[in-house]
Amino acid sequence: MKHRNAALTPVLQQRTDIWAANDLPDTAQPGISSGHPALDARLPGGGWPVGELTEVLSDCQGHGEMSLLLPWMAAASRREGWLVWVSPPARPHLPALAAAGLYTPRLLLIDAERPAERVWALRQALESGACTGLAGWLDKADTAMLRRLQLAARATPLPVLLFRPAHDRQRPSPAGLRLQLSPGPAHALRVDILKRRGRPASTPLYLRTRAFSMPAPLPSAATCRIRRPALTLIA
Amino acid sequence: MLWLALVFPEWPLQARIRTRDGTQPLAVSQGQRVIALDAVALAQGVRVGQRLADALALAPDLVIRSREPAAETAALHDAAGCALHFTPHVSLDDDALLLELSGSLKLFGGLDTLLRTLQRTLAAAGFESVAACAPTPRAARWLALGTPGQRIRNVAALPGALAPLPLEVTGAGSAALLALRDAGLRTLGELMALPRSALALRDAGPLLTLIDQALGRRPDLRVDHSAPPRLDSRIELPVPRQDSDVLLFAASRLFNAACARLAAAQSGIGECALELEHERQPPTVLTLRTGQPTRDPRVLAGLAREHLARIALPAPVAALRLQATDWLLMPGRSRDLFGAQAPSLAETRTAAALLVERLRARLGHDKVHALSGSADPRPECAQRPAEPGAARPGPARPRRPLWLLAEPEALAERDGQPWRHGPLHCLEDSERIEAGWWDGLDAPLAANEALRDYRIAIGPRQELLWIYREHHPPHRWYLHGVFG
Repeated sequence: MKHRNAALTPVLQQRTDIWAANDLPDTAQPGISSGHPALDARLPGGGWPVGELTEVLSDCQGHGEMSLLLPWMAAASRREGWLVWVSPPARPHLPALAAAGLYTPRLLLIDAERPAERVWALRQALESGACTGLAGWLDKADTAMLRRLQLAARATPLPVLLFRPAHDRQRPSPAGLRLQLSPGPAHALRVDILKRRGRPASTPLYLRTRAFSMPAPLPSAATCRIRRPALTLIA
Repeated sequence: MLWLALVFPEWPLQARIRTRDGTQPLAVSQGQRVIALDAVALAQGVRVGQRLADALALAPDLVIRSREPAAETAALHDAAGCALHFTPHVSLDDDALLLELSGSLKLFGGLDTLLRTLQRTLAAAGFESVAACAPTPRAARWLALGTPGQRIRNVAALPGALAPLPLEVTGAGSAALLALRDAGLRTLGELMALPRSALALRDAGPLLTLIDQALGRRPDLRVDHSAPPRLDSRIELPVPRQDSDVLLFAASRLFNAACARLAAAQSGIGECALELEHERQPPTVLTLRTGQPTRDPRVLAGLAREHLARIALPAPVAALRLQATDWLLMPGRSRDLFGAQAPSLAETRTAAALLVERLRARLGHDKVHALSGSADPRPECAQRPAEPGAARPGPARPRRPLWLLAEPEALAERDGQPWRHGPLHCLEDSERIEAGWWDGLDAPLAANEALRDYRIAIGPRQELLWIYREHHPPHRWYLHGVFG
């Protein structure tokens, strides 16, 4: 879009019989905004797709990969229903989620060991009609499982975000959108769109997903101190 | 008045075994004689009235149960519970049900539709029935026995309809019947054609009363069946089985009967106990909790499926029993002007509670939880598992990691710098936490006291970590969180 002549753009937009090859198809079902405008612009439907799976392939930890989802989850948590996390890799820290705007009582955590159980739990959540958003961590999931999940997702107006290890990139997947996350320069998160509906994306995207700026210029050390009362010994 | 009589063929058998799959010959005996049998046994030559030894000679794998009047009564109550959904006027008549339907026809869309729905409901609960309609209860019963499917709407047509029925349908004493048969009488019509005084002489007086009631010439009062709001039904399997498909099929019979009964009472249950009875061991009890009151058999069946998938049965199951005592009022939902409607808030909540129960039934109770916040400054105490739906929000704190390690990981130190696969560079700001002394007041050294300086650190792969250093010597470094 950038390289297009500015004077030409309104003319082209008026004509319905001209289709630019680098346009994303408008036929995509409207997605749900990810909260990152730069990412939304690259996703067909303008956000996380609904009615199909979204895969996030990532091996990194500590680069803001979960923060990528938080704006969407914060918005979803304002509606009645569960925000389901199936087998997150560590314990979520509530104050950080609350700081990101998430209404934490709507978070439902499911610990399932085996991949089949995780997929089952996700399907139950999808079919229950009681969820506003779903995120699942699948270490080992075969294509058949994902296909069943994709079928269950088809009937629901929800984004389904699946975290999978980066080496699963080579495996075929029924997911409609696949992103790969990796550390980028200057604490940014590099997002490669491996697969999406419509024209393939070529260039990576660099996002700052964390809510706070880096490095933090705090004037003084923040202290949370609840002092122990002084004990006096009376002889 | 419009009375519907429901008669259950081979009732002693139906009442005891409601999961007939058509592979196993079954019979019920009383005093060494066969009194009821299924189609498989019939095909193998077994007949009603046969001696058990003869029956076993014809069908060696015949499963024989002795008659149990208590089980028959209980089963008839189950069937009556299903019928209560269609009319409040249900009465029990030995082994048949009599329903007064004149007030229900319009609601259920006419007699045909009502009858179809009623028989489908009964079939889902495991009861096969034949029916007939008449303006009087006794005539309906006789017609159901003699010419099932007949529908007589006015009294004037009754004598003609009853005339071809054999005398046996009246259920009169066998001595009186024998005397009449000796006199050459076979049908009700022949009986009705005789002068009343002649019949009275032949000990047929009581029979005359019955005929008068059937024709509507004498009052025939029936008492409405009423049952306490309590579920307790039992179902036997033809042979003890362990495979969950068979058990679920049997359980679905119980659930269907229970839910039809609940629908009649405008109620739902939040919890029920499904007992799987073994032959020589104490029963396995599955407690099915739905979270919200329900009367949807699919919900209960889904929960039972998850429970059965999780447990290992100690022995084959011979019978199933469903019990629920706490009924909760659950009015039906009216449709809006245009029929369907989007899920209401209450429905979303019901679905949300149900999802939790379904997940817990398979994964285990502790595996599904919410997080409740707390104002405790110690990061590890800022959240704790909570019952879904009862979680409370906690305070928001910026500059905190999204993921917390279950246990702080001790870090090595090289040249005064914390080390994890490489040096960790601390950022300028730090957060000091001094709290938790109250947890160990009775111990000499406060075990849970936190005296820590937290810092955000950048690792060798540019990852952001949350580390802290203890105030106490030896001032060790720990990794506590990851900025995901």
